Amino acid sequence: MKDISISVPKEDHNEKVSGSSPYVSDIKMDHMLYAKTVRSDHAKAKIMSIEIPPLPNGYFVVDYKDIPGKNYVKMIFEDWPVFAEESVNYIGEPIMLVVGKNKQTIDDIIDQIKIVYKLLKPVFEYKKSVIHKQFNKGNNKQVFQKQEYSISHTYETGYQEQAYIEPQGFIAYPETKDKVTLIGSIQCPYYVKNAVINTLGCEPEQVRVIQPSVGGAFGGKEEFPSIMACQLAVAVRKIQLPIKMIYEREEDMEVTTKRHPSKITLTASINSDYKIEGIKAHVSLDSGAYIGLSGVVLARAMIAATSAYTVDNLDISGDVYATNTVPNGAFRGFGAPQMIFAMEMFIHHIAKELKQDPFTMRMNHLAKQGDLTSTSGLFRDPIIMEKMIEKATEISGYHEKVKAYAAPSVYKGIGMSWFLHGCGFTGSGESTHINAKVKLKKDENNQVYILVAAVDMGQGCKTSLKKIVAQTLECKLDQITFDNPDTDFVPDSGPTVASRTVMIVGGLLARAALKMKETWKQDERMEVNENYVQPEYIKWDEDQMIGDAYPAYSWGVNIVEVEVSPITYQTKLKHIWSVYDVGKAIDKRLVLGQADGGIAQGVAYGYLEVMNHEKGKLRQKSMTDYIIPTSVDMAPTDTVIMENPYILGPYGAKGVGELTLVGGAPAVALAIELAIGKNVYKIPASPEYVLELMTDEH
Amino acid sequence: MVKHAIPKNVSEALNYLYDGDYKVIAGGTDLMIQKRNTAELPPNFNSNILYAFNLEELKYVIKEKHQLRIGSMTSLETLLHHPDVPQLLKDVIMEMASPGIRNMATLAGNIANASPAGDSLVVLYLMDAIVVLSSIYQNRYLPIEKIITGPRKTVIQSNELIKEIIIPNHVVTQTSWVKVGGRQADAISKVSFAGAITIEDDRVVDLRIALGAIYKNVVRDRNIEKLYRQETIAHLKDEVQNVLSHYKDIISPIDDQRSTKDYRFKVALNLIEDFINKL
Amino acid sequence: MSIKFKLNNKDIELNLDPSMRFLDVLRNHLNLTGSKEGCGEGECGACAILLDGHIVHSCILPLANVFGREIITIEGFKETKRYQVLADAMLEEGGSQCGICTPGMMIAAESLLSQNSKPTDEEIRIGISGNLCRCTGYNMIVKAIKTASKKGDGLW
Repeated sequence: MKDISISVPKEDHNEKVSGSSPYVSDIKMDHMLYAKTVRSDHAKAKIMSIEIPPLPNGYFVVDYKDIPGKNYVKMIFEDWPVFAEESVNYIGEPIMLVVGKNKQTIDDIIDQIKIVYKLLKPVFEYKKSVIHKQFNKGNNKQVFQKQEYSISHTYETGYQEQAYIEPQGFIAYPETKDKVTLIGSIQCPYYVKNAVINTLGCEPEQVRVIQPSVGGAFGGKEEFPSIMACQLAVAVRKIQLPIKMIYEREEDMEVTTKRHPSKITLTASINSDYKIEGIKAHVSLDSGAYIGLSGVVLARAMIAATSAYTVDNLDISGDVYATNTVPNGAFRGFGAPQMIFAMEMFIHHIAKELKQDPFTMRMNHLAKQGDLTSTSGLFRDPIIMEKMIEKATEISGYHEKVKAYAAPSVYKGIGMSWFLHGCGFTGSGESTHINAKVKLKKDENNQVYILVAAVDMGQGCKTSLKKIVAQTLECKLDQITFDNPDTDFVPDSGPTVASRTVMIVGGLLARAALKMKETWKQDERMEVNENYVQPEYIKWDEDQMIGDAYPAYSWGVNIVEVEVSPITYQTKLKHIWSVYDVGKAIDKRLVLGQADGGIAQGVAYGYLEVMNHEKGKLRQKSMTDYIIPTSVDMAPTDTVIMENPYILGPYGAKGVGELTLVGGAPAVALAIELAIGKNVYKIPASPEYVLELMTDEH
Repeated sequence: MVKHAIPKNVSEALNYLYDGDYKVIAGGTDLMIQKRNTAELPPNFNSNILYAFNLEELKYVIKEKHQLRIGSMTSLETLLHHPDVPQLLKDVIMEMASPGIRNMATLAGNIANASPAGDSLVVLYLMDAIVVLSSIYQNRYLPIEKIITGPRKTVIQSNELIKEIIIPNHVVTQTSWVKVGGRQADAISKVSFAGAITIEDDRVVDLRIALGAIYKNVVRDRNIEKLYRQETIAHLKDEVQNVLSHYKDIISPIDDQRSTKDYRFKVALNLIEDFINKL
Repeated sequence: MSIKFKLNNKDIELNLDPSMRFLDVLRNHLNLTGSKEGCGEGECGACAILLDGHIVHSCILPLANVFGREIITIEGFKETKRYQVLADAMLEEGGSQCGICTPGMMIAAESLLSQNSKPTDEEIRIGISGNLCRCTGYNMIVKAIKTASKKGDGLW
């Protein structure tokens, strides 16, 4: 049988390269109206009155009073209003939609809407904790009281904007008087469907969600689209005509979810043999005005506390702080990038302070098979990190360069990060929240249909999931059809997030395909359903955060080489090397594509992408002002995929999507640190920050 | 009702400008963004518009004995590949925006836009460029620093069209252009530096320094430059801190969404220092 | 006002507001949706088209400025042999993931290769420097254009 890793032509290539692949803004309908959102100008205020001008025929205002069901968007934490009612909590909070045929008229109406606010005092600092979590590992008290060395540092990370090239958007229309259909740029058709059902207070059959082509998402289209969907569904219910709402870039950047800014304090208790006996950590996340998914982001961040290392005693706590800024949410990595940055810098800083070789210290703490994880679960599966590190240092010349670049006034640097990423939903999420279902159908012509809710947003899951099914059925790829999910036809296989699509959904499809193969009826219709069953051995206590947080872990090593200019303090990327263990690559080219794209985002998070706010107003909200890398900024990348098959993954596969972003920031920050000879505590390590560090006398 | 004029030649264009109150648009790479309306709606020009970009008569690069004459509608990308354009100007253009923008952008557009962060302006100031303004009455020849009076403010009259940019020949020993942007392409400058020096017998014959994005418009001070004429290069290098102290007084950078005033200030001085140190 | 130009090798005359964004002319009036809007300010390149063979950003191009010129969009380019060589190279090297930047990248590649048929890696990076991609990190796109320039010997 052919090795599944061998690359095949990407499923949707022809339509994408020719521009004929339909994204939501390409779709037009008869009698289509446009919608534009009226938003709060203030970070925190009470709405005293709203004056709407007389509306021309065919123009409507849609607000909270039009909501038949519940005025909150159903996501993990249910605090995010569809439309503001009496108060607003961030600049840009949606208050109402203006809907009509002509965009100029809509703008004119909005100009005449008068909203009177009573301004209240907004909060922007880490003051108001809305979620607190804590977990322990091992025996803390003694360890933290008497150790030879105690070292403590605080690390900070900034916003990161997903900056998918296709802005968010939807078309919603009345399929019938009682049924709303929504077509939108999304990652999770069923998240959208369930949110709309909740807001309309209707039956499941009355909502249909269809995925068109999606132009990038990276987590930014995980939960946010549900807000737009709920608003439009309410509007369609009221107006009974198709409505299109596509955000322009500035609006998208200003009001959609971003990566949580964080502040992480780490304290290590180290013994006289330079072993880290215990770590105390506190993670602070800025959730913005509403909590949404922030509790899960916090959990994942905390669980990543010891990154690729084993430390026997842990006291890890975290808080989500609400501030009057745009609510933050999912972005590839989901809390891990923040934590892994902090931990990787920390272990280097500890080594430097104790005058130990960082590489040796890290090797001494590297996690091994059989170790307890941070949450006292088990690393059951083989860990090949030592081989990966050896390979990475070999292809990059890391050790020689670290020595050479340590000399002062060389202004060159090289940095290496080691990291892991838990695959799938944290803890029992797969069984308590998702309960994924997949379906395979076959027609009389023996064409097999994959029916899942997984969204191909560029990562190529249409190709990889087809390969898994074809390989199992031992048939040709073109005998399999995988159409974009439509909730009228596909079961809920769960959201396209958390690096779960190949491992969990693909795993279920492999089982379904096997069943279909074993019961195959040639030239007859068939249907096979497969539901997720939590592996017996995975035990997780949600409240105590103890047990196996994830069924499997993927591992990675990133090495980044840089040059820093002592004149302009700018960092230039010279080369990037990566080694990954994703179990087994279902398609080598697709995994290498994820590697290139992920590291570009991860490294840019570490040194390039700057976003900050002033009194709740974002200062960077266009592609001009929010700097993401161009082709000229990127360095050549060399990536090695090492096989380490996971028994419960389809063909041995584990998660890929987020792993390749998670280690980029510490790798580049460590490189900059070496180049300038100063410790880096914050990302992005922008030229302005590098200047501060280089002119700082301390 | 807004009037639109697409003149077939310069003479027709000048007549339009004389007859009515038209705003001139060249490639549109600045104006289409500044006057941007909601997507799918035409821009908010709020005035009559004359589209000059397709005036073929204004697309030329003519090398004369003592100067280079550039037609105002020549695209930046054309200048980038033209054999007669001085290397320093090419160095600037090469790092401006992106190929797609360079294919539509013009020096005329950059001048009329008068952005404090405009890269080409820094080098035009350094090279003592002269701008030719045409109306149906006359051609006015003005040095570039007399054209731009402040951020987005020029002396160009409503009946005038930028016809040509003249760059006097300049014998130069060493030039330098450094653009400091947020990334290596497609970036608005945080600060920019242009330097040129003419050396004979190890002495400074002519020293020119211009800085961009550091003040309301390009900073170039001929009085400071004059102080170092006839100095030996070695002496100039010894005096470098003195040179910097002069420039400290005339630059006044700001904090904005792109950078901080501390950064801009320090880097501007570093760039001047580095230029002199590397002579 | 009547604006005459050539679009995808056909003569065309439109009576529209000359200040209109050409991207809107394409997408809304001519139903050519291959050019995309990613930013509306000429920064991302998703709207890129060829004006007399050179890449320009149609979201900041007023209709008036195409008067008398030749425009090729991705819809026109895809009928050519050069397109096929580029498209095959993109497939082989993995240069397209979500696809939203891809038509613009194809246009940028064509603009580059018609000026410089054997570009270095650095020249390719500059050629696509006005096209933002968030999925690929660019390297596979650069490889694809390099491969196309090798395989398309004589085409450019």
